[in-house]
Amino acid sequence: MTQPDRGDRTARNATALAAAIAQLGVQCSLEARGGLVLLLPVKASVEALQSPDTRRAVLALCREHGFTHVGVELPSDRRGAERDADAPLLRD
Amino acid sequence: MNTDSTVPSDLVLLQKEADLASWLAARAPVAIGFSGGVDSAYLAVAARLHLGTDGVLAIIGRSASYPEAQWAAARTVARSFDVPVLELDTAELDDPRYAANPSNRCYYCKTELWSRLVPIARARGFSTVADGTNADDLSDWRPGAQAAREHGVASPLAELGFTKQDIRDASRRLGLPTWQQPSSPCLSSRLPYGTEVTRARLEQIERAEEALRALGIAGDLRVRYHEDLARVELGADELPRWLEPRRFDVLRDALVKTGFERVALDLRGFRSGSLNVLHGVGA
Repeated sequence: MTQPDRGDRTARNATALAAAIAQLGVQCSLEARGGLVLLLPVKASVEALQSPDTRRAVLALCREHGFTHVGVELPSDRRGAERDADAPLLRD
Repeated sequence: MNTDSTVPSDLVLLQKEADLASWLAARAPVAIGFSGGVDSAYLAVAARLHLGTDGVLAIIGRSASYPEAQWAAARTVARSFDVPVLELDTAELDDPRYAANPSNRCYYCKTELWSRLVPIARARGFSTVADGTNADDLSDWRPGAQAAREHGVASPLAELGFTKQDIRDASRRLGLPTWQQPSSPCLSSRLPYGTEVTRARLEQIERAEEALRALGIAGDLRVRYHEDLARVELGADELPRWLEPRRFDVLRDALVKTGFERVALDLRGFRSGSLNVLHGVGA
């Protein structure tokens, strides 16, 4: 049986993480860069991140999935509805 | 040094300050590696107060990794408290071992600094050379401390048990403007280990942090460099308001103008030594 390489594991963690974060009401795509994961929330989910409790929960989930750093790249307020997809996406 | 937990903290600090005065008097004259940060500013001013202008020399090492704003702050403190200053240029970026940005990068930087500074200090009659390392630093990943030891540089604040908070409290009593200044490590600390340190990158990071200061962001602030991406770490008081989309657009615009293509806010906010955690480096 072959072991999945680190990239596979990272991708799998990110996929599971996106689903877990969606359970908190934050729909977002994710981009994994080693120990750093970037969250790219859809517009409708930005407000949820204003809550300290939600941020703490997101951070805890990211740690559980092996990420040490979490960046949030917000959608532009000027660019209409880009990234307003319903389903979480994975970018790696 | 009295560390009895039943003694009021003010008295403990007063005792540490008295210990520092004795330490300085026993080793005068003292040259100090002076960055203008919280620790070295306090040490330089304390030395000036206890030893007079002939008993202290604050030496600034200037290079591309040393922010211009920090240099200006250092000069202001020295001028305000009548601390004699000498400036010298350091060239750590010309050392390929430093530029490669290994996890012990600080060792090469401090080796460059002390190998230039110590002979100059000795030639001017300063028998003791000291730095501003404090007691809290001893538990952090500080490969630069090895270089200090190798060059016979003393760390009286660490030796006498001064914590960062002690130094802020003592600085406040002395009227030092640095008492509430955020910690200010060199600009290379914004680059992940293994990412080459170049003048262009350091200048970009410096412009980016200046741009954020110009937006009114106070307190701790770091722009971490991830090639195309700037990952911004803000203090707990600042983070929530910049997570508002319109404000985030302003922040992003400011950083895009400094050469970053993408901008992200670190959800956890500022943490000292953040990139050590990312790379699993630690004491």
